[in-house]
This record gives sequence, C-alpha cells and structure tokens, in this order.
Amino acid sequence: MRKYETVFISNPDLQEQSRKDLFEKVKNIVAKENGILVDFDDWGNKKLAYEIRKNTRGHYVCMTFGGDGDMVMEMERIFRLDDNILKFMTTLKDKDVDPEELKQEAEQDKDAEQEPSEKTTETTENTENN
Amino acid sequence: MAIQNKRFYQRRKICRFCVDSSMEIDYKNYKTLKQFITERGKIIPRRITGTCSKHQRQLATSIKQARQIALLPFVGKSF
Repeated sequence: MRKYETVFISNPDLQEQSRKDLFEKVKNIVAKENGILVDFDDWGNKKLAYEIRKNTRGHYVCMTFGGDGDMVMEMERIFRLDDNILKFMTTLKDKDVDPEELKQEAEQDKDAEQEPSEKTTETTENTENN
Repeated sequence: MAIQNKRFYQRRKICRFCVDSSMEIDYKNYKTLKQFITERGKIIPRRITGTCSKHQRQLATSIKQARQIALLPFVGKSF
C-alpha cells in the first residue's frame, strides 16, 4: 500500500452545510476504494498566491491516506468534475507502507486530537476553582 | 598591489538546513520557503544563500510544489 498526501482547495464561498457534504463525499471516495484515511486536516480559508477562477481566497484541506494508484486516479477524476474544487495536488509520501501501521497512525491522530480538547476543559476548571 | 586591495574576504556561507536539523523542507511550510525566493518569486541560487546542493534540490522541488497549490506565486509582485 502506498501513502499519499492530497491538498485541495475548495470554493471559499460555500455554505457550512454544502461544505460538510463535500468533505463527506471526499472521505467516502477513500472508504469506497478500500483506502485508509490517516488524517483530514482543515486549514481553513487562506489567501491564494494567485487567482484561480477569479477567486483570491480558497478553503484549503490537507489529507493523508493510504491507497493505490487507481484510487488516486478515481479521486482526481471526481475532483475535476466537481465545480467546488478549484485545485488539488497529490504527492507520494511513502511507496510501501504496512496497512496495519497506517491504521495505528490514524488512531493515534484521533487520540491526539481528543487530548488537547480534554486539556482545555481541565484548565478552564482549574481557573474556576481559583 | 591594486588587485590585492580590491579582494575582500567574506565569511563562508553555511547551509541553514544542515545547521538546524529541525528546519523541515516541505511545501506546506511555505513561510520558510519564502525566505529562499525573491520578491519576484524566483528561486534564489545557492551561490547566494549558501544552501548545500542536497538541500537546494529539495528546496527547489518544494517551492515548485507550493507554487502548484497556490501557496507561493509563480510571478511575484510587479514593480
């Protein structure tokens, strides 16, 4: 299994709900093609270095996943059809990875995301006590 | 004598990525890459920045990737 990283720029003017639907759609592609989604990182709205289809801003998302070449082809085909995706780029991170390792990594990432939120709640409690 | 006087000695430039191993060359880390392009968006040659050839190669690839995904400009500000 290969490890890929895809950055895509989605339309910045999308409504909250349609953006969620779009992200869900992208995640489903990975699941459908038997890929493993390791990380789905939302960078938010950023200024573009140059205009893309008359847009000066874009909503960046960076995702890491495990899969094979056919899966990337299929995903990029869908990206090209979608009007709400302005640009995308896929880079190969690792040529040969163990699927089990990727699953572990994905779980670790989830844990890491949960931990900070717990910590913040703790700190707020502490300040209340003081 | 005149030629000798004209010659000036410059401190040898060192590769910043070799000195500080925590500095990562990655297209996502475009703020670091920004230091290695001109105002016009051109990649600065290593004879000026002092980057070693290994890192300069990685740097060039990363800058080109960052340009592709609109993190860095192909053509910078016009005067």
